[in-house]
Amino acid sequence: MKKHRKPIQYLILAFAVLIGGYAIGRSFFTTQSVLKAGSEAPAFELADLSGQTHDLDSYKGKPLVLNFWGTFCPPCRDEMPALQKEYDKWKDQGLQLVGINLSEDRISVQQFAASVGARFPILLDRNKITEKRYGLKEYPTTFFISSDGHIQEIAIGGPMSEEDIDSHIKRLFETSPKS
Amino acid sequence: MLQFQNTKCECGHQNPTGTVLCESCGKPLVEDLPLDSPLEMRYDGVARRSQKANPDLLDRVWNFFSSVKIAVWLIVITLIGASVGTIFPQEDTFINLDDPAQYYKDTYGTWGYIYQSLGLARTYESWWFVGLLAMIGTSLVICSLDRVLPLYRALSKQQIRKHHAFLTRQQTVYIGQLEQEPAAWTSSFANQLRRKRYRVTAEDTALLAEKNRFSRWGPYINHIGLIIFLLAVLARGIPSWHLDEYVSMDEGQTKQIPNTNYFVKNDKFTVEFYKDEELPPELKGTNRAKLYRTEATLYECTANCNDTTGKDPVLKEVAQHDIEVNSPLSYHGLDLYQYNYEPQARLISVRPMLVDSRTGKSYGPFDLPMNDPPLTYEAGPYTLKLSNVFPDFGLDDQNRPMTKTRDPNNPAFVFIVTGPGLSEDGEMYIYFPLPSGDDKTIQNQINQSLQKAGSNSGRFTFEVGKMENVSFSQYTTFLNVRVDRAMPFIWVGAGISMIGLIMGFYWQHRRIWLRIEDGKLTLGAHTNKNTYGIRAELAAALNKTGVAVEPKALDNRRNTR
Amino acid sequence: MNWLSISSNAFIFAFALYCASFIGYAIAVAGRRWSNRDVEAHTKRWSRIAFALAIIGWLGHLTFFLTRWKGGGHIPTSNMYEFMTFLGMAIMFAFIVVNLIYRNPLVGAFATPLVVIIIAYASVFPSEVQPLIPALNSYWLKIHVTTAASGEAFFAVGFAAALVQLLRVVDFSRKDKLGKREQFWVEAVLFVVIIIVGFLVSVFSFRAGGYSAEFQQEKFSIDQQGNEQSSIQKVTYGLPPIVAPYNSEKLSMTPYLGIDKPLFEAPHWMNGVNAGRKLNTVLWSVISGLILYGLIRLILRKPIAAVLHPYLDGIDPEDLDEISYRAIAIGFPVFTLGALIFAMIWAQIAWSRFWSWDPKEVWALITWLFYSAYLHLRLSRGWLGTRSAWLAVIGFIVVLFTLIGVNLVIAGLHSYAGV
Repeated sequence: MKKHRKPIQYLILAFAVLIGGYAIGRSFFTTQSVLKAGSEAPAFELADLSGQTHDLDSYKGKPLVLNFWGTFCPPCRDEMPALQKEYDKWKDQGLQLVGINLSEDRISVQQFAASVGARFPILLDRNKITEKRYGLKEYPTTFFISSDGHIQEIAIGGPMSEEDIDSHIKRLFETSPKS
Repeated sequence: MLQFQNTKCECGHQNPTGTVLCESCGKPLVEDLPLDSPLEMRYDGVARRSQKANPDLLDRVWNFFSSVKIAVWLIVITLIGASVGTIFPQEDTFINLDDPAQYYKDTYGTWGYIYQSLGLARTYESWWFVGLLAMIGTSLVICSLDRVLPLYRALSKQQIRKHHAFLTRQQTVYIGQLEQEPAAWTSSFANQLRRKRYRVTAEDTALLAEKNRFSRWGPYINHIGLIIFLLAVLARGIPSWHLDEYVSMDEGQTKQIPNTNYFVKNDKFTVEFYKDEELPPELKGTNRAKLYRTEATLYECTANCNDTTGKDPVLKEVAQHDIEVNSPLSYHGLDLYQYNYEPQARLISVRPMLVDSRTGKSYGPFDLPMNDPPLTYEAGPYTLKLSNVFPDFGLDDQNRPMTKTRDPNNPAFVFIVTGPGLSEDGEMYIYFPLPSGDDKTIQNQINQSLQKAGSNSGRFTFEVGKMENVSFSQYTTFLNVRVDRAMPFIWVGAGISMIGLIMGFYWQHRRIWLRIEDGKLTLGAHTNKNTYGIRAELAAALNKTGVAVEPKALDNRRNTR
Repeated sequence: MNWLSISSNAFIFAFALYCASFIGYAIAVAGRRWSNRDVEAHTKRWSRIAFALAIIGWLGHLTFFLTRWKGGGHIPTSNMYEFMTFLGMAIMFAFIVVNLIYRNPLVGAFATPLVVIIIAYASVFPSEVQPLIPALNSYWLKIHVTTAASGEAFFAVGFAAALVQLLRVVDFSRKDKLGKREQFWVEAVLFVVIIIVGFLVSVFSFRAGGYSAEFQQEKFSIDQQGNEQSSIQKVTYGLPPIVAPYNSEKLSMTPYLGIDKPLFEAPHWMNGVNAGRKLNTVLWSVISGLILYGLIRLILRKPIAAVLHPYLDGIDPEDLDEISYRAIAIGFPVFTLGALIFAMIWAQIAWSRFWSWDPKEVWALITWLFYSAYLHLRLSRGWLGTRSAWLAVIGFIVVLFTLIGVNLVIAGLHSYAGV
């Protein structure tokens, strides 16, 4: 009994440190991690207006602008033409610009996109799943994602002007490794 | 600080360092105690396990947690910390709180802002509070271990004949000349005590009577229960052991329970209010809910559960229950509780008729659900193609129709009608199923402007007719979905703790020692709680065996007069 | 005659007998100093009378409880009136138990007025039987509330005994700093009791005078969807408004002392249920308590504690220490079971979480932690006598804050029981 006292004490203290450390450590990570510049863009797999599915991986290798928007959100509606213009301007240099609609009916999205002349690819989120994955708090939110899949900048709120978008895209191209 | 005295007793027993009373005969070993004060009987005067001569680092850490003083400090700091957490509501009392800092500033002013930025709005999840609980847990283990083992040893090998100093310095003492023959008196006294359910062991003219020793283990059993409880609370952090989500549903809606493969459907929601005559005067006329209930169906999803590409999830019904406040739906550790409800009138579906205003003929009705409406409808010979949907109709700043939100608060549908007598491209009409007057006006205005633009001929209108063609959801129900696999351990811990408390507080360990020399009886008695009780018991036994004494007279405590 | 009217008669009966019992105990204790009689016999006789009155009163109280249960259709512990009267009944029960063990008239002399005050306090709240909201409609609630109140009742008796002990041992001849401090704090405890009495006096006298004032208050709240909503509420005052509710307009108000409008408005962060009215009540209690205390001091011409002290001579403070400790030791497991374990079971069923750090829960935990500290200090560190008595007094203050203060100051899940 006496012989084993020391090891038993060590064992109990080790347990206390382990369990206590786990408990305290966990308290640091209770807040959900928020997406920041530098984080990896969360994966998604979504259908476009014609029903074809696309995932994030298929956009890798080239800079990507991801715009979350909805027809119920006035600034989203207002920045559509600017986005389209910037898309036309940069797409030949390899820019990909994708709008992700905020879980609305396909028919409303189609109608609206047609009415404002948005011809860049539009994907349809469902049940707010992708939107939650990207931790959206305000609409619109636009993610500028470099060709290696990391978020470089996040533009929250809108509408953004053509110049705004342009400068974001320029920075995206400056830092993105050319593929 | 401890003093390291010579621990060898005059009776020849070698005691461990830190012993207060000789483990064998009970003679006080620490001589700096006031000579006439009652003896220190905690843990029977044995050394705590951790008391030793040359403490190293391990011993020091161990001693820290082994100290009751430290334990009390931990308790006090914890209770102060806990009270600080109640000054303002904690963050988790708000379901949707996007910017806590701003909210606390707006709602509670500068103090609220300081409170929030110090992290006090999350007191109970903070590292320091959790750390305090962890330290209390450690202290519970080490304190108990250090005391219960020596105490167990001391109580299981008690000497019957105790030192005079030990007897005369108990809280309850009797010293007197015995008139009877010692051996005969001892045995009749022993019988009296046995009748009171004491276990009596005698040795010549010395005697030890003891009862309810088990109550000494009460505190330790309580501590074991508390440790289990604390570990169970911690185990709730294992991801699959714990889930806490909210689902809000209108009637008829099916929703996925976030972070699970389960879906739940609100088949029907009902609320009953107290009738006026059931209410006291000051509450008359108010809607006081008596009962609310969600008739719910739980589905397990077997495929395409989190699909975002348009494939519908494959659902299998697994449970059905009428969820009320005190009656959750339970399925395989998943519990769905009625959390709240909100009056929120929403259309589920309508069955309108297409009316030809020229002929007065109506066609249909056709089914128009508000959620996921199909793209085409048949009404008599006419085909209606859905061309646009506005769940919450409004106009943007350029007066173009838009939806204000994604919720079906005020749905509007745009149809293209084709059929006999209509042009190839069809005619375009907008339809507001909500029967409010405002909507009907807007509907007419828009249809007239469409007519002006040549999109329609103004020939068709939509009519619902009877109310049974409209199905409504009056309330949104809020369910709280929980998984808590640690609960059984929580209850077991609480139960054990309770058993320990009852053992320790409602029974008292009582011991009586006596020795007779030359007809002089020296008697000492000890209990850890309720000295009143033992005095009464002892006085009764003495009186019955011919030693007249008042219970009060047995009291040996100094401050008594 | 229906159940509820039997019930309210039984209540008045019980209340009267409790008052009589208190007077009996007062005579038993005070009579020790009367010269013309045998002290032992006098004390014994009057203690017996008082105890008999207390028991009969308690039976009346029990009748009140049972008939109200029958008449109201649910156990009468669901609003503040019912809960406080139940607490009074539980304290009386705890006192009877402790008195049967120890037979000490002094504890009675302090426990009975405590019960009288608590029952009078209960009567401040509307006494109508109210229908239950669904969350309260569970038998676990009944078990939780009754058990918790019983545990707290033993703490109350422990408090009464500890207070007597403090009054007994405080040394009024001491002039040094420590002695002065002790005298001050004992007096302070009595002062707090007077404040509560002041509260009761002001409430009942303005109620008897039919006083009322009305305000209209606009309140903002955030609903489940996160939208801000405003609602307009009418707030009725039974005491003249010194403080108006935050963001409110006066509707009607009987002038008092020539003042016809409130002097202040409550700060915005006091946003609990009827926060403004509660703050007003607290102000009135303090004011009338101060006046009352001033009057008493004027008549007695020395601290109240110094007046009571001589009557307690010849009582063994060790006995009081034991009684106080014993009452707490009996109450602790009951409290643990009722206020924590049963509360957790009920919360698990009703609110879907056994523990949600709701202020009321936290304060129950604080009470429990406090008494655990008390027990550890006493059992393992030898804190006996005065120190332990002070802890018992503070402990009961914590209990009262948990029961009343939390509802008054902090609103949580339990806020249905507001003042």
